[in-house]
Amino acid sequence: MNDGWNIVVCVKQVPDADDVTIDPDTGTLNRSGAPAVLNRPDHNAVESALALRESVGGTVTAITMGPPPAKAVLQTAVGVGADGGVLLTDRAFGGSDTWPTSLALARAAAELDADVVICGEESTDSSTGQVPPGIAAHNGWSQLTYVESLDPQPEDGVLVGKRDVEGGYERVAAELPVVVAMEFGANRPRPAGLHRKIFAETEFEPVEWSASDLGIEDRVGLANSPTKVGGMDTATPVERERIRVESVDELYEYIAEVR
Amino acid sequence: MTIETDDYRDVWVFVEQHDGTAAPVSWELLAKGRELADETDESLVALVMGDDVSDLAEEAVARGADRALLADDAVFEPYRADPYGEQFRALVEARKPSIVLIGGTHTGRDFAGRVAVPAHAGLTADCTELAVDDEGLLLASRPTFGGDAMATIKCPAHRPQMATVRAGVFDTSEPTESDVERAAAVEEVEVVVAEEDALSTVLERVVSDVVDITDADVVVAGGAGCEGEVGPIVELAEVLGGEVAASRAAVDEGWIEPARQVGQTGKTVRPHLYIAAGISGAVQHLEGMNDSDVVVAVNTDPNAAIFEHADYGIVGDLHEVLPKLTELVREQQEVAA
Ligand SMILES: Cc1cc2nc3c(=O)[nH]c(=O)nc-3n(C[C@H](O)[C@H](O)[C@H](O)COP(=O)(O)OP(=O)(O)OC[C@H]3O[C@@H](n4cnc5c(N)ncnc54)[C@H](O)[C@@H]3O)c2cc1C
Ligand SMILES: Cc1cc2nc3c(=O)[nH]c(=O)nc-3n(C[C@H](O)[C@H](O)[C@H](O)COP(=O)(O)OP(=O)(O)OC[C@H]3O[C@@H](n4cnc5c(N)ncnc54)[C@H](O)[C@@H]3O)c2cc1C
Repeated sequence: MNDGWNIVVCVKQVPDADDVTIDPDTGTLNRSGAPAVLNRPDHNAVESALALRESVGGTVTAITMGPPPAKAVLQTAVGVGADGGVLLTDRAFGGSDTWPTSLALARAAAELDADVVICGEESTDSSTGQVPPGIAAHNGWSQLTYVESLDPQPEDGVLVGKRDVEGGYERVAAELPVVVAMEFGANRPRPAGLHRKIFAETEFEPVEWSASDLGIEDRVGLANSPTKVGGMDTATPVERERIRVESVDELYEYIAEVR
Repeated sequence: MTIETDDYRDVWVFVEQHDGTAAPVSWELLAKGRELADETDESLVALVMGDDVSDLAEEAVARGADRALLADDAVFEPYRADPYGEQFRALVEARKPSIVLIGGTHTGRDFAGRVAVPAHAGLTADCTELAVDDEGLLLASRPTFGGDAMATIKCPAHRPQMATVRAGVFDTSEPTESDVERAAAVEEVEVVVAEEDALSTVLERVVSDVVDITDADVVVAGGAGCEGEVGPIVELAEVLGGEVAASRAAVDEGWIEPARQVGQTGKTVRPHLYIAAGISGAVQHLEGMNDSDVVVAVNTDPNAAIFEHADYGIVGDLHEVLPKLTELVREQQEVAA
């Protein structure tokens, strides 16, 4: 592989967590006021993709599945240095759980002839972390999740990842193609360069693929999702005393009482 | 794709193990799995994979499983997603479990996400409540939006119904001196994967004993506000006879070990007393500590969100407040002694 690796980075648009509120009267979620942003952990995925391109050469293509406004997260990725972007958008995708979502991303990655697919650890809105291993499973590719750092070895066609595991770490050599989920906070994402950012916002146009372009129109969407959200309840909020104490002695009294 | 859901029976628990030691969450799931199996009048089956781990399969029976399936082969140590996944797929195809429970650890989530795809199973992530409805459907509930809401997820038309479950949420199962012949309840299954087919190689594995903070009665947690100096946290935990814990920020900085992280991607703790020092109170942190009986917050910022989620809050520098508190506790203990 003289001309480097085809690196695909998966980016998801999510509501800004700080602005999602629960209506205390109706108990419903109020997401309407929340601006949509790039999933925080995906900044780490994009950074790893760019760093990988710097060490092995090749291209970085950002992909997202979502409604047309999700184009914004592709612009964010292109603004910091991704070469291009693909928007998977189609009404047929609506209501997909992680099974069809990872199918669509897997098909797109295969279409792009990916050597490495890099994802975030999990999304901040539904936080399953199931999409990266799902992509790997759909394509029969290797997977590296909870990755702290990457060490590419192009001469052997493997990507070595240092994974965070209970009680320590492990280093795993994975055959290409491989799907990676970077640990949230694994690196310091670079800022966007001014010119690149202007390019991303004015000239960049993503490639758009529908479900039928990927040949999966009968396998995605709500109807093809094994899980169904049966109900959403507001959790009974934990009642706290919220007593402000003025001195450590006073705090000690309270602690002595509860112990 | 439609399947005959009635063909699927039994509750399986994946017994996650590393080097012959079971992850504590596996035994918690066995206890919860027992309840579910009793309710649906099905068997509880432990799935044990590893190298030379028949003792764990027997232990699972002692802890309440009706049977254990044992896939014993060097290819299963250490854990890798693809051999585990392929073996699991074959077992599910042949034996058709209705419910499969897996610990929400890094290994468990890596495994579950991989195997749910070929099985075309529904997989609910990171559950904190499990029940079955009148028809025997699994009701898997998970906190969303920082614990402000609970989403209950069902899987009506696909099998198995899979869920990963957060560690520390359910009580553990204890081994009993049961009258079943343990070894007789263990079935060694055919291993269908071979090393040549593996897509990855573990080059190095560095792990030490993992502390378990989930059962602690007192927890003192430090955050970014420690600024690298965690002595005050450790000393207060020590005099209170409690465990040290951390926010993800303090773990990422390397000040406190990852096994002590509390929150959505860490542990759920349920102590009598939780002291959060230098922690802002992000939703992902609150999720892991909301079940504490009494919460104390120490923070320099009077507007920190953590104060809204605390019983007693003090505005101050933890490097001053905690040592003073430690001193007061120590004095009192000396008086009492
Ligand atoms: C409250 C709630 C609970 C849910 N619970 C479940 C559940 O338990 N099981 C289930 O199967 N589904 C569940 N879903 C549906 C699930 O959120 C969607 O399938 C979603 O599209 C992908 O899941 P995720 O956000 O959890 O991805 P994760 O697996 O957490 O995302 C990991 C990474 O995958 C990549 N990625 C994920 N989605 C996209 C995308 N659309 N475009 C590009 N890259 C992406 C990103 O790199 C991301 O960082 C739930 C939805 C809601 C609203
Ligand atoms: C997918 C995902 C999963 C996550 N999972 C988790 C998780 O499991 N657990 C978790 O904790 N976080 C998790 N986070 C991170 C979370 O969003 C916050 O970033 C994190 O909890 C912040 O940690 P902190 O409160 O220690 O730091 P900060 O938010 O930086 O807060 C530090 C606090 O210390 C106070 N302070 C500063 N100096 C002092 C002093 N001298 N004395 C007293 N107070 C002081 C400040 O006023 C501030 O309130 C997750 C995030 C994501 C995106």
